[in-house]
Amino acid sequence: MTVGAQVKSCYASIKGIEASLRILRSQTNDLEAHDAYLETEHIIQEIKKDLEEQVLLLARQEPQYNQ
Amino acid sequence: MPDWLEIVVRSVSLLIILFFFTKWLGMKQLSQLNVFEYITGIVLGGIVAIHVSTLESPFYFAVISMLIWFIIPYLVEVISLKSKTFRNFVQGKSRVIIQNGKIMEDNLKKEHYSTDDLLESLREKNIFKVADVEFAVLEPTGKLNVLPKTDYRPLTAKDIGLKLAPSKEPQTVVMDGRPLLESLANLSLNPTWLETELEKMNVSIENVFLGQVDSDGQLTVDLYDDKLTVPMPTQKPLLLATMRKCQADLEIFALATDNERSKQMYQVNSEKLQKAIDKVKPYLQ
Repeated sequence: MTVGAQVKSCYASIKGIEASLRILRSQTNDLEAHDAYLETEHIIQEIKKDLEEQVLLLARQEPQYNQ
Repeated sequence: MPDWLEIVVRSVSLLIILFFFTKWLGMKQLSQLNVFEYITGIVLGGIVAIHVSTLESPFYFAVISMLIWFIIPYLVEVISLKSKTFRNFVQGKSRVIIQNGKIMEDNLKKEHYSTDDLLESLREKNIFKVADVEFAVLEPTGKLNVLPKTDYRPLTAKDIGLKLAPSKEPQTVVMDGRPLLESLANLSLNPTWLETELEKMNVSIENVFLGQVDSDGQLTVDLYDDKLTVPMPTQKPLLLATMRKCQADLEIFALATDNERSKQMYQVNSEKLQKAIDKVKPYLQ
């Protein structure tokens, strides 16, 4: 696996985490848990944004895998 | 009226009266009754027993005597709710038996409580050494309540500084193969949600003996057919594992790359993810 593919799969996992957190947040009826899930979701979103840029950067550096 | 019929009529009517009297007198457990309530209960029962079988005494005798034995305890209860001194007089006071780890011999004597009784009550609480006790009170009901010394108290999550997620009571949503709509509504869920969750587990609702939902909306079921295995909810452990894996991945990327800017970005995000894991971990366990 190239670095680009590895980072891409990590990016996908992060997206999955965000979705799972959102599901848990909508299912819980405990306010404290709701807040904890929401805060975690915000952190995950920041990480997601950084990784997205990195994925694009690596795609530019490894254009042969972008076909 | 033949005798047997009179006995039947008396039994049924006195039973009904007795039922309502005991109901109005309060719903305490037999073991929590104080002496007064105990005696009242026995006398009421005795009156009923005598008048059911003794046909010579007129029926209204039974009613009068029962009324008296109902009204006086009832008044005593009402007054003792209002007045503390009266309550102490009627129901008795709790007495300190052990204070600061020392046995109060005078109080033991006053309660006619022997040393053997004390040791027995302590053993009931799993305490075999009097020296382990900080404080003990003998309640008016005859029960001994014990506060062990700090080192001998059970370990709690707070003692070891463990953060735990608050958990609310679970709701039972399926009973005997039928959905309970009221408890589903309490969780603001609907029967369609239940059907979807059961479909995910690959079971039909007719096969579910009992189904409960915790405060996080996770469904756990017990089936009639015990040979079938039900998948345990995996969502939360899976999420935690994925988060840990991503965190490890980011750390590896940070080590692998030569690009200074990328390295820093990976490191910052790895730390952020660690923070996120710490924050959400109590809720995912």
